[in-house]
Amino acid sequence: MKETIQRKIFDYLLKNKIYNFIGVPDSTIKYFIDQGLKHNKILIATREEEAIGIAAGMSLFLEHPGEIISKSQSNSLVFMQNAGFANSISTITSLVQLYQIPMIFLIGWRGFLKNDAPEHTKIGKIQPKLLQALSLQSMVLDEKSWKKSCDWALKLIKDGKSCALIIPREFVD
Amino acid sequence: MIRKTAIAIALEHIEFDDRIISANGFISRDLFSISDTRSAFYMIGSMGLASSIGLGIALKDTGRKVFVFDGDGNILMNLGSLTTIGSLKPKNLIHVVFDNSVHESTGSQPTNTNFVSIEKIAKACNYNHTFMARTKNNFEKILRKIKKLNGPIMIVVKIQQSNDKKSARIDYEPVEIKERFMSQV
Repeated sequence: MKETIQRKIFDYLLKNKIYNFIGVPDSTIKYFIDQGLKHNKILIATREEEAIGIAAGMSLFLEHPGEIISKSQSNSLVFMQNAGFANSISTITSLVQLYQIPMIFLIGWRGFLKNDAPEHTKIGKIQPKLLQALSLQSMVLDEKSWKKSCDWALKLIKDGKSCALIIPREFVD
Repeated sequence: MIRKTAIAIALEHIEFDDRIISANGFISRDLFSISDTRSAFYMIGSMGLASSIGLGIALKDTGRKVFVFDGDGNILMNLGSLTTIGSLKPKNLIHVVFDNSVHESTGSQPTNTNFVSIEKIAKACNYNHTFMARTKNNFEKILRKIKKLNGPIMIVVKIQQSNDKKSARIDYEPVEIKERFMSQV
Protein backbone atom coordinates (compact mmCIF):
# COMPACT_ATOMS: atom_id res chain seq x y z
CA MET A 1 0.00 0.00 0.00
CA LYS A 2 1.20 3.49 -0.95
CA GLU A 3 3.02 5.62 1.61
CA THR A 4 0.50 8.47 1.45
CA ILE A 5 -2.46 6.19 2.14
CA GLN A 6 -0.74 4.49 5.07
CA ARG A 7 -0.04 7.89 6.62
CA LYS A 8 -3.66 8.94 6.03
CA ILE A 9 -4.94 5.79 7.72
CA PHE A 10 -2.93 6.54 10.84
CA ASP A 11 -4.14 10.15 10.95
CA TYR A 12 -7.74 9.08 10.40
CA LEU A 13 -7.72 6.54 13.24
CA LEU A 14 -5.99 8.99 15.59
CA LYS A 15 -8.58 11.65 14.78
CA ASN A 16 -11.34 9.15 15.45
CA LYS A 17 -10.32 8.45 19.03
CA ILE A 18 -7.97 5.54 18.84
CA TYR A 19 -5.80 6.68 21.72
CA ASN A 20 -3.14 3.98 21.89
CA PHE A 21 -1.02 2.38 19.16
CA ILE A 22 1.13 -0.50 20.30
CA GLY A 23 2.83 -3.21 18.31
CA VAL A 24 5.76 -4.96 16.74
CA PRO A 25 7.03 -3.46 13.46
CA ASP A 26 6.33 -4.90 10.02
CA SER A 27 7.79 -3.53 6.79
CA THR A 28 4.40 -3.92 5.04
CA ILE A 29 2.97 -1.19 7.29
CA LYS A 30 6.13 0.83 7.89
CA TYR A 31 4.69 4.19 6.78
CA PHE A 32 1.70 3.75 9.10
CA ILE A 33 4.12 3.14 11.97
CA ASP A 34 6.36 6.02 10.89
CA GLN A 35 3.40 8.41 10.87
CA GLY A 36 2.62 7.33 14.44
CA LEU A 37 6.24 7.79 15.49
CA LYS A 38 6.11 11.36 14.08
CA HIS A 39 3.12 12.03 16.31
CA ASN A 40 4.96 10.40 19.24
CA LYS A 41 2.06 8.00 19.53
CA ILE A 42 3.71 4.62 18.93
CA LEU A 43 4.81 2.14 21.57
CA ILE A 44 7.02 -0.66 20.27
CA ALA A 45 6.80 -3.91 22.25
CA THR A 46 9.16 -6.89 22.15
CA ARG A 47 6.53 -9.41 21.10
CA GLU A 48 2.94 -9.33 19.97
CA GLU A 49 1.55 -10.94 23.13
CA GLU A 50 3.25 -8.23 25.15
CA ALA A 51 1.83 -5.56 22.83
CA ILE A 52 -1.69 -6.92 23.33
CA GLY A 53 -1.16 -7.03 27.11
CA ILE A 54 -0.08 -3.38 27.17
CA ALA A 55 -2.99 -2.43 24.89
CA ALA A 56 -5.43 -4.26 27.16
CA GLY A 57 -4.07 -2.41 30.20
CA MET A 58 -4.36 0.94 28.41
CA SER A 59 -7.89 0.13 27.28
CA LEU A 60 -8.94 -0.39 30.91
CA PHE A 61 -8.38 3.33 31.48
CA LEU A 62 -11.40 5.59 31.14
CA GLU A 63 -10.77 8.71 29.05
CA HIS A 64 -14.04 10.22 30.28
CA PRO A 65 -14.85 8.83 33.72
CA GLY A 66 -18.54 9.00 34.50
CA GLU A 67 -19.70 8.01 31.03
CA ILE A 68 -20.58 4.39 30.30
CA ILE A 69 -17.54 2.15 29.90
CA SER A 70 -18.00 1.39 26.20
CA LYS A 71 -18.08 5.11 25.38
CA SER A 72 -15.16 6.19 27.50
CA GLN A 73 -12.65 3.34 27.36
CA SER A 74 -9.26 4.30 25.99
CA ASN A 75 -9.32 2.50 22.64
CA SER A 76 -6.22 0.74 21.39
CA LEU A 77 -4.86 -0.56 18.10
CA VAL A 78 -2.23 -3.30 17.99
CA PHE A 79 -0.13 -3.58 14.83
CA MET A 80 1.85 -6.63 13.78
CA GLN A 81 2.89 -8.89 10.93
CA ASN A 82 0.88 -12.06 10.41
CA ALA A 83 3.79 -14.11 11.84
CA GLY A 84 3.12 -12.18 15.04
CA PHE A 85 -0.59 -12.70 14.69
CA ALA A 86 0.17 -16.42 14.94
CA ASN A 87 2.08 -15.69 18.17
CA SER A 88 -0.93 -13.85 19.55
CA ILE A 89 -3.63 -16.47 19.39
CA SER A 90 -3.67 -17.51 23.06
CA THR A 91 -3.62 -13.87 24.18
CA ILE A 92 -6.53 -13.05 21.89
CA THR A 93 -8.63 -15.94 23.23
CA SER A 94 -7.70 -15.77 26.92
CA LEU A 95 -7.39 -12.01 27.41
CA VAL A 96 -9.00 -9.94 24.66
CA GLN A 97 -11.99 -12.20 24.06
CA LEU A 98 -12.31 -13.66 27.58
CA TYR A 99 -12.53 -10.24 29.26
CA GLN A 100 -14.15 -8.61 26.21
CA ILE A 101 -11.60 -5.84 25.89
CA PRO A 102 -12.22 -4.64 22.34
CA MET A 103 -9.27 -3.55 20.19
CA ILE A 104 -8.33 -3.22 16.53
CA PHE A 105 -5.60 -5.45 15.13
CA LEU A 106 -3.74 -4.07 12.12
CA ILE A 107 -2.01 -6.98 10.45
CA GLY A 108 0.49 -6.98 7.59
CA TRP A 109 -0.30 -9.92 5.32
CA ARG A 110 2.92 -11.61 4.27
CA GLY A 111 2.54 -14.58 1.99
CA PHE A 112 -0.25 -12.78 0.13
CA LEU A 113 1.80 -12.99 -3.07
CA LYS A 114 2.77 -16.49 -4.15
CA ASN A 115 6.41 -15.48 -4.61
CA ASP A 116 6.88 -13.92 -1.14
CA ALA A 117 9.77 -15.28 0.98
CA PRO A 118 9.29 -18.95 1.92
CA GLU A 119 8.81 -18.43 5.68
CA HIS A 120 5.60 -16.51 4.95
CA THR A 121 3.92 -19.01 2.64
CA LYS A 122 2.13 -21.20 5.15
CA ILE A 123 0.94 -18.50 7.56
CA GLY A 124 -0.10 -16.32 4.61
CA LYS A 125 -2.25 -19.13 3.33
CA ILE A 126 -3.96 -20.05 6.61
CA GLN A 127 -4.39 -16.48 7.89
CA PRO A 128 -8.02 -16.04 6.70
CA LYS A 129 -8.94 -19.39 8.25
CA LEU A 130 -7.24 -18.48 11.54
CA LEU A 131 -9.19 -15.22 11.71
CA GLN A 132 -12.37 -17.12 11.03
CA ALA A 133 -11.59 -19.81 13.63
CA LEU A 134 -11.07 -17.04 16.21
CA SER A 135 -14.38 -15.38 15.19
CA LEU A 136 -12.37 -12.25 14.60
CA GLN A 137 -14.11 -10.19 11.93
CA SER A 138 -11.74 -8.69 9.39
CA MET A 139 -11.50 -6.46 6.34
CA VAL A 140 -8.69 -6.08 3.85
CA LEU A 141 -7.70 -2.45 3.39
CA ASP A 142 -7.20 -1.11 -0.11
CA GLU A 143 -6.28 2.27 -1.52
CA LYS A 144 -9.80 3.11 -2.67
CA SER A 145 -12.03 2.05 0.21
CA TRP A 146 -9.73 2.24 3.24
CA LYS A 147 -11.84 4.90 4.90
CA LYS A 148 -14.95 2.75 4.76
CA SER A 149 -13.07 -0.18 6.29
CA CYS A 150 -11.69 2.05 9.05
CA ASP A 151 -15.20 3.34 9.82
CA TRP A 152 -16.39 -0.26 10.03
CA ALA A 153 -13.63 -1.08 12.55
CA LEU A 154 -14.30 2.08 14.58
CA LYS A 155 -17.98 1.19 14.78
CA LEU A 156 -17.19 -2.36 15.94
CA ILE A 157 -14.83 -1.21 18.68
CA LYS A 158 -17.51 1.22 19.92
CA ASP A 159 -19.91 -1.72 20.04
CA GLY A 160 -17.42 -3.62 22.19
CA LYS A 161 -16.10 -5.98 19.51
CA SER A 162 -12.54 -6.58 18.39
CA CYS A 163 -11.69 -6.83 14.70
CA ALA A 164 -8.77 -6.98 12.29
CA LEU A 165 -7.75 -4.69 9.45
CA ILE A 166 -5.42 -6.39 6.99
CA ILE A 167 -2.85 -4.80 4.68
CA PRO A 168 -1.58 -7.25 2.05
CA ARG A 169 2.09 -7.23 1.07
CA GLU A 170 1.88 -6.41 -2.64
CA PHE A 171 5.59 -6.31 -3.44
CA VAL A 172 8.61 -8.55 -3.00
CA ASP A 173 11.96 -7.06 -2.08
CA MET B 1 7.04 -16.90 54.37
CA ILE B 2 4.35 -18.46 52.20
CA ARG B 3 2.66 -16.60 49.35
CA LYS B 4 -0.57 -15.92 51.23
CA THR B 5 1.38 -14.30 54.08
CA ALA B 6 3.43 -12.23 51.64
CA ILE B 7 0.32 -11.03 49.79
CA ALA B 8 -1.36 -10.11 53.10
CA ILE B 9 1.71 -8.07 54.12
CA ALA B 10 1.77 -6.30 50.76
CA LEU B 11 -1.92 -5.41 51.07
CA GLU B 12 -1.26 -3.64 54.37
CA HIS B 13 0.97 -1.20 52.51
CA ILE B 14 -1.23 -0.63 49.48
CA GLU B 15 -3.63 2.32 49.61
CA PHE B 16 -7.27 1.78 48.75
CA ASP B 17 -6.86 4.00 45.71
CA ASP B 18 -3.90 2.07 44.28
CA ARG B 19 -4.41 -0.46 41.51
CA ILE B 20 -3.50 -4.15 41.59
CA ILE B 21 -2.97 -6.47 38.63
CA SER B 22 -2.49 -10.05 39.76
CA ALA B 23 -1.03 -12.84 37.63
CA ASN B 24 -2.99 -15.93 36.69
CA GLY B 25 -2.82 -19.07 38.83
CA PHE B 26 -2.51 -19.16 42.60
CA ILE B 27 -1.47 -15.51 42.95
CA SER B 28 -4.89 -14.25 41.86
CA ARG B 29 -6.65 -16.99 43.79
CA ASP B 30 -4.75 -16.19 47.01
CA LEU B 31 -5.37 -12.46 46.63
CA PHE B 32 -9.06 -13.08 46.03
CA SER B 33 -9.35 -15.29 49.12
CA ILE B 34 -7.44 -12.87 51.39
CA SER B 35 -9.16 -9.66 50.36
CA ASP B 36 -11.49 -8.75 47.56
CA THR B 37 -12.13 -5.18 48.53
CA ARG B 38 -9.93 -3.41 46.03
CA SER B 39 -11.38 -4.56 42.69
CA ALA B 40 -8.07 -5.99 41.56
CA PHE B 41 -7.67 -7.05 37.95
CA TYR B 42 -7.52 -10.80 38.51
CA MET B 43 -5.96 -12.52 35.55
CA ILE B 44 -7.33 -15.90 34.65
CA GLY B 45 -5.67 -16.70 31.34
CA SER B 46 -3.03 -14.78 29.39
CA MET B 47 0.01 -16.36 30.99
CA GLY B 48 2.93 -14.06 31.67
CA LEU B 49 1.22 -10.80 30.84
CA ALA B 50 0.58 -9.26 34.29
CA SER B 51 3.59 -6.95 33.91
CA SER B 52 2.41 -5.81 30.48
CA ILE B 53 -1.17 -5.15 31.52
CA GLY B 54 0.20 -3.31 34.57
CA LEU B 55 2.49 -1.24 32.34
CA GLY B 56 -0.46 -0.28 30.13
CA ILE B 57 -2.48 0.91 33.10
CA ALA B 58 0.47 2.68 34.72
CA LEU B 59 1.16 4.65 31.53
CA LYS B 60 -2.44 5.90 31.37
CA ASP B 61 -3.49 6.23 35.01
CA THR B 62 -0.43 8.23 36.00
CA GLY B 63 -1.97 9.68 39.16
CA ARG B 64 -2.23 6.31 40.88
CA LYS B 65 0.21 3.64 41.93
CA VAL B 66 -0.04 0.37 40.04
CA PHE B 67 1.08 -2.82 41.81
CA VAL B 68 1.75 -5.90 39.71
CA PHE B 69 1.60 -9.17 41.65
CA ASP B 70 3.67 -11.48 39.51
CA GLY B 71 5.19 -14.93 39.83
CA ASP B 72 8.63 -16.18 38.83
CA GLY B 73 7.20 -18.56 36.22
CA ASN B 74 5.00 -15.78 34.89
CA ILE B 75 7.70 -13.15 34.47
CA LEU B 76 10.14 -15.67 32.94
CA MET B 77 7.60 -16.06 30.13
CA ASN B 78 7.66 -12.35 29.38
CA LEU B 79 11.17 -11.11 30.20
CA GLY B 80 10.98 -8.75 27.24
CA SER B 81 8.45 -6.72 29.20
CA LEU B 82 11.21 -5.77 31.66
CA THR B 83 13.06 -4.00 28.85
CA THR B 84 9.89 -2.16 27.79
CA ILE B 85 9.16 -1.12 31.39
CA GLY B 86 12.80 -0.09 31.93
CA SER B 87 12.71 2.00 28.75
CA LEU B 88 9.44 3.80 29.46
CA LYS B 89 10.12 4.12 33.20
CA PRO B 90 6.62 4.64 34.63
CA LYS B 91 7.13 6.26 38.06
CA ASN B 92 3.97 4.69 39.44
CA LEU B 93 4.73 1.03 38.67
CA ILE B 94 5.65 -1.35 41.49
CA HIS B 95 6.41 -4.85 40.29
CA VAL B 96 6.27 -7.48 43.04
CA VAL B 97 7.47 -10.95 42.06
CA PHE B 98 6.53 -13.75 44.47
CA ASP B 99 9.36 -16.16 43.76
CA ASN B 100 9.11 -19.79 44.91
CA SER B 101 11.30 -21.10 42.06
CA VAL B 102 8.56 -23.47 40.92
CA HIS B 103 5.51 -23.42 38.68
CA GLU B 104 3.29 -24.21 41.66
CA SER B 105 -0.02 -23.87 39.82
CA THR B 106 0.92 -26.65 37.39
CA GLY B 107 2.45 -29.11 39.86
CA SER B 108 5.62 -27.44 41.20
CA GLN B 109 7.96 -28.04 38.30
CA PRO B 110 11.23 -26.08 38.78
CA THR B 111 11.80 -22.63 37.23
CA ASN B 112 15.09 -21.03 36.24
CA THR B 113 15.08 -18.64 39.20
CA ASN B 114 16.88 -21.49 40.96
CA PHE B 115 19.88 -20.33 38.92
CA VAL B 116 19.20 -16.81 37.65
CA SER B 117 18.19 -13.70 39.62
CA ILE B 118 15.12 -11.80 38.41
CA GLU B 119 16.19 -8.89 40.60
CA LYS B 120 19.50 -8.58 38.74
CA ILE B 121 17.73 -8.74 35.39
CA ALA B 122 15.38 -5.93 36.48
CA LYS B 123 18.35 -3.85 37.59
CA ALA B 124 20.05 -4.39 34.23
CA CYS B 125 16.78 -3.34 32.56
CA ASN B 126 16.88 0.13 34.18
CA TYR B 127 14.33 -0.34 36.94
CA ASN B 128 14.90 2.63 39.29
CA HIS B 129 15.04 0.48 42.42
CA THR B 130 15.21 -3.27 42.95
CA PHE B 131 14.91 -5.21 46.19
CA MET B 132 15.06 -8.78 47.41
CA ALA B 133 12.99 -9.76 50.46
CA ARG B 134 13.58 -13.07 52.25
CA THR B 135 11.77 -12.48 55.57
CA LYS B 136 8.51 -10.84 56.66
CA ASN B 137 10.38 -8.06 58.48
CA ASN B 138 12.55 -7.41 55.50
CA PHE B 139 9.55 -7.25 53.12
CA GLU B 140 7.71 -4.83 55.44
CA LYS B 141 10.74 -2.59 55.65
CA ILE B 142 11.01 -2.47 51.86
CA LEU B 143 7.29 -1.71 51.48
CA ARG B 144 7.64 1.23 53.87
CA LYS B 145 10.76 2.46 52.10
CA ILE B 146 9.30 2.46 48.58
CA LYS B 147 6.51 4.87 49.53
CA LYS B 148 8.98 7.69 48.96
CA LEU B 149 10.63 6.24 45.86
CA ASN B 150 9.88 6.61 42.16
CA GLY B 151 9.27 3.57 39.98
CA PRO B 152 9.69 1.41 38.20
CA ILE B 153 10.42 -0.60 41.33
CA MET B 154 10.93 -4.36 41.51
CA ILE B 155 10.59 -6.34 44.74
CA VAL B 156 11.42 -10.03 44.51
CA VAL B 157 9.89 -11.80 47.50
CA LYS B 158 11.35 -15.24 48.14
CA ILE B 159 8.53 -17.50 49.31
CA GLN B 160 8.16 -21.15 50.28
CA GLN B 161 5.58 -23.54 48.96
CA SER B 162 2.67 -24.08 51.27
CA ASN B 163 0.89 -27.26 52.30
CA ASP B 164 -2.32 -25.31 53.00
CA LYS B 165 -5.49 -26.01 51.07
CA LYS B 166 -5.56 -24.34 47.66
CA SER B 167 -7.37 -21.01 47.56
CA ALA B 168 -10.73 -21.11 45.81
CA ARG B 169 -11.11 -20.06 42.19
CA ILE B 170 -12.32 -16.54 41.55
CA ASP B 171 -16.05 -16.65 41.22
CA TYR B 172 -16.53 -13.49 39.16
CA GLU B 173 -17.04 -13.74 35.44
CA PRO B 174 -14.07 -12.26 33.54
CA VAL B 175 -16.22 -9.44 32.16
CA GLU B 176 -17.35 -8.67 35.69
CA ILE B 177 -13.70 -8.49 36.84
CA LYS B 178 -13.00 -6.01 34.06
CA GLU B 179 -16.02 -3.83 34.78
CA ARG B 180 -15.40 -3.72 38.53
CA PHE B 181 -11.83 -2.70 37.84
CA MET B 182 -12.77 -0.04 35.29
CA SER B 183 -15.49 1.50 37.40
CA GLN B 184 -13.12 1.89 40.35
CA VAL B 185 -12.35 5.49 39.40
